[in-house]
Amino acid sequence: MTPAGSLLAATDLRKAYGPTAALDGAEFSIHPGEVVAVMGPSGSGKSTLLHCLAGIVTPDSGSITYAGHELSAMSDGRRSALRRSEFGFVFQFGQLVPELTCVENVALPLRLAGVKRKEAESAALHWMERLQVEDVGAKRPGEVSGGQGQRVAVARALVTRPRVIFADEPTGALDSLNGELVMQLLTEAARSANAAVVLVTHETRVAAYSDREIVVRDGKSRDMERIV
Amino acid sequence: MNTLRTWARDLALGVRFAFGGGREGWTRTTLTGTGVGLGVALLLLTTALPGALAARNERGDARSTLTAPTADGPRTDSLLVANGDTTYRGLDIGGSLVLAEGPQAPVPPGLERIPGVGELAVSPALDALMRSADGKLLRERLDGRITQVIADAGLVGPGELVFYLGSDKLAKTDPADHRVQRVTGFANTMQAPKLDPVQMLLIVLTFVALLTPVAVFIAAAVRFGGERRDRRLAALRLVGADGPMVRRIAAGEALAGSLLGLVLGAGFFVVGRRLVGTLTVEQRSVFPADLDPTLWLAALVAVAVPAAAVAVTLFALRGVVIEPLGVVRTAKPRKRRVWWRLLLPLGGLALLVPLMGRGNGSGYFNEWQVTGGVVLLLVGVTALLPLLLERFVGRLSGGPVSWQLAVRHLQVGSGAAARLVNGIAVAVAGAIALQMLFSGVEGTYTKDTGEDPARASVSILMHSGTESRANALAQEISGTRGISKTVPLTTFDAAHQIPAADRRIPVTAGTCEALHEVAVLDSCADGDAFVLTGSPSRDTGAYGTTAKPGDRLYAGNVLGYDDGTPDAEKAVTWTLPAAARTVASREDPAGQLRTGLLVTPAAAPKGVQAAQSAQIFVQLDDSVPDALDQVRTAAFKADPFATAMTLKSTRQAGPYSTIRVGLFFGAVGVLVLIGASLLVSQLEQLRERRKLLSSLVAFGTKRSTLSLSVLWQTALPVGLGLGLAAVVGIGLGAVLVRMAGRPVQVDWASVAGMTGAGAGVVVLVTLLSLPPLLRLMRPDGLRTE
Repeated sequence: MTPAGSLLAATDLRKAYGPTAALDGAEFSIHPGEVVAVMGPSGSGKSTLLHCLAGIVTPDSGSITYAGHELSAMSDGRRSALRRSEFGFVFQFGQLVPELTCVENVALPLRLAGVKRKEAESAALHWMERLQVEDVGAKRPGEVSGGQGQRVAVARALVTRPRVIFADEPTGALDSLNGELVMQLLTEAARSANAAVVLVTHETRVAAYSDREIVVRDGKSRDMERIV
Repeated sequence: MNTLRTWARDLALGVRFAFGGGREGWTRTTLTGTGVGLGVALLLLTTALPGALAARNERGDARSTLTAPTADGPRTDSLLVANGDTTYRGLDIGGSLVLAEGPQAPVPPGLERIPGVGELAVSPALDALMRSADGKLLRERLDGRITQVIADAGLVGPGELVFYLGSDKLAKTDPADHRVQRVTGFANTMQAPKLDPVQMLLIVLTFVALLTPVAVFIAAAVRFGGERRDRRLAALRLVGADGPMVRRIAAGEALAGSLLGLVLGAGFFVVGRRLVGTLTVEQRSVFPADLDPTLWLAALVAVAVPAAAVAVTLFALRGVVIEPLGVVRTAKPRKRRVWWRLLLPLGGLALLVPLMGRGNGSGYFNEWQVTGGVVLLLVGVTALLPLLLERFVGRLSGGPVSWQLAVRHLQVGSGAAARLVNGIAVAVAGAIALQMLFSGVEGTYTKDTGEDPARASVSILMHSGTESRANALAQEISGTRGISKTVPLTTFDAAHQIPAADRRIPVTAGTCEALHEVAVLDSCADGDAFVLTGSPSRDTGAYGTTAKPGDRLYAGNVLGYDDGTPDAEKAVTWTLPAAARTVASREDPAGQLRTGLLVTPAAAPKGVQAAQSAQIFVQLDDSVPDALDQVRTAAFKADPFATAMTLKSTRQAGPYSTIRVGLFFGAVGVLVLIGASLLVSQLEQLRERRKLLSSLVAFGTKRSTLSLSVLWQTALPVGLGLGLAAVVGIGLGAVLVRMAGRPVQVDWASVAGMTGAGAGVVVLVTLLSLPPLLRLMRPDGLRTE
């Protein structure tokens, strides 16, 4: 049963990799503008849950609805288009194209959506200013610090004004100071754009930026808000 | 000593890393080893060629009668030998007719004994052919009993088609008759004719053009897996290894790959050598045992390849700083310098230009100067390409996302891409130059024969035939299926006095229909005779003499040969009919313009026998299969000395076609080799970017966009490389054609063909790398647990 008013919801999700069950009846829902932290130990299935919710991985069974549409009923092309226009992504590492400059990296999703180069880079600069990395626009990812790189990635996730941002351990490779800064800017920017954030993390310090927490353990999810 | 020990320790550590590290380590080392091994196998093959050629020549000479000891008369140790070469379905078959004159007659190499009359000794390949369904017609021609199979010692190659036929038709009564030799042994001590300068140029260029890409390929192969190795080395820095130490360890890894390559290369060579024994290309085959690498050259390969692997690795690591926390490619790579890169092709030109025009027969080239010049020019391609690519992509911008991704990738580091394309560029440049040279000299080696295959397909020459035998053969042949016309002509000499010395008059005899083939006749009836005119090229010398109608002449043995036998033929007296008309000569189907006299059978002298020779022109119906071989069989059976020659309007000289065949197979081998290296490198690069590809797909990048960007990444350097190769190839070709003293003409079809072949390899490699690319773009790449 999909909770009323939710933007993205999943029920009874199951996904196995070989004999290992990554998800075993997991549930999830998120409302527009809401920040939900998905927590759990390593190997609990939280990243798999994120990949299923984002339409990157198809679950073995269960239902995922986005804005009332069943995700599994969509073609791969349609899901890709959805990820391009409605979703934004921030990963722990390895997400920026090393050959492109930072501004080109941020503009990339818009360019993929067919926006002209100048227009795309202008929008990219706007978001880079918001994320306080406008001064590294001409540099390549290999020439900036980890924190700056992650903020560039956040700017890239926001540049298409997505309705949902998926962040998988966005501060995992950063020190606490930089981690705090990234989380602060990410959640602020998302809230101002009324974007929902699915935040996968195993750090309670990071989860503190969320409105609600879901704990995943052995492929099953538990909504912490209800317990509290 | 200390330094040596440090080097040895670090190299050994590198070797251990190469073979340790589980499946991935093994895969990487095996890839390098396979790449290097393929190159080493080709190098070993090259080192074996001089020995193989020498062994072939040695066996060829050992069975030759060219300079064999001879006897004046029959002896207990003499053997009569005559050439019995024949052709079957386009295959040349070497044959000898033999007759032992005594018990000590020399046995040809590879035979246990001399075949008796009607017995055949055949090579294994000919034996197989004759026993197969395909050889049925040949079996009719060579209908002797097969009593021996020729051993390897009597063959140049395993696929050679050779026979010895015992024949009682052999006799040597006339010492001047070169068709039959009386030998007491076998030998050929004559030096093979030296290759003319142009042929030498072609061979040198073929070797250089084929071996330079192999060297480039080996250099690329030892750098397989470089990026991953650098990361591993960074981990070593973390535990205390210093900069020089990790470089030595990296060199050790490359050394391990190259040593494995040497072992695999030796294995590929041994396997390839066995396969070579089963191959026959254009009737050329090689005994595996002949492919024995020259020891010092093989030793040079064994030392040079690992040394080059170490040197290339150390050279490649110049611009890389391996820090404990990762690999830092020097942020601002050293700007590539132009001067030394230009120096290479300019140096090549400086060596070659002074040789221009030397190939017109006035002198021989200095082989080292030619080789040096060509190598410098081709290596110049490998030096110039990275520079050009860097400058070219540096100026590119804009375009769709796939283009932008590719261009930016090349802007950051075009060296790897250039390395990939270098091999193809060198091969294509060399091939274009070779093709231009071939086209330039083609006229020299392709002779216009003057033969007219439209009038006759085959010309059968019967040197010792008589008119009756020629006519009988013509009759027999015309009864064969697939023969539309036969034209028999006999020729004998006439003279005003005997012995005639050089005042002989050639007389051609035949029916009116036959004479129409050699002269322009208004009318003709049996009993007519004609005096030929219109052969300006033959108005002097032995055959410049003619006769007037009514002249009294001698005919037949006008030279007065006497073999000492009672039935030795005497010249007969004969009067040229007074009504003989003067007619213009006409080229016969074999392109011969005859002089002297023409006579119809009723006007011909009677009693002329042995001094006659006969020629039969045969026209075939091309729609009937094997008509040509039926004719050859009939001719061979009528007279084993008869020569049946297919008439062709042009003929190519032997060495030219041999070199071209060599080039073709060499170029195919090199392109396959380079294609394999391109594929391996492409896959390696893709695997390195697996996570990035997955994350790009995660945020909605179309797979087609990424596939296109991979295509652009290959197409840009390849396009530039092929462009450069075309320019250098045409330039080199022009210089070489001028060296050969021929006018320069660019053969655009071959330029397009060669660049197309290079581009084809790249397209194929890109297509083959698409399935793994699509697999790597799966979301699985995002999984870290």
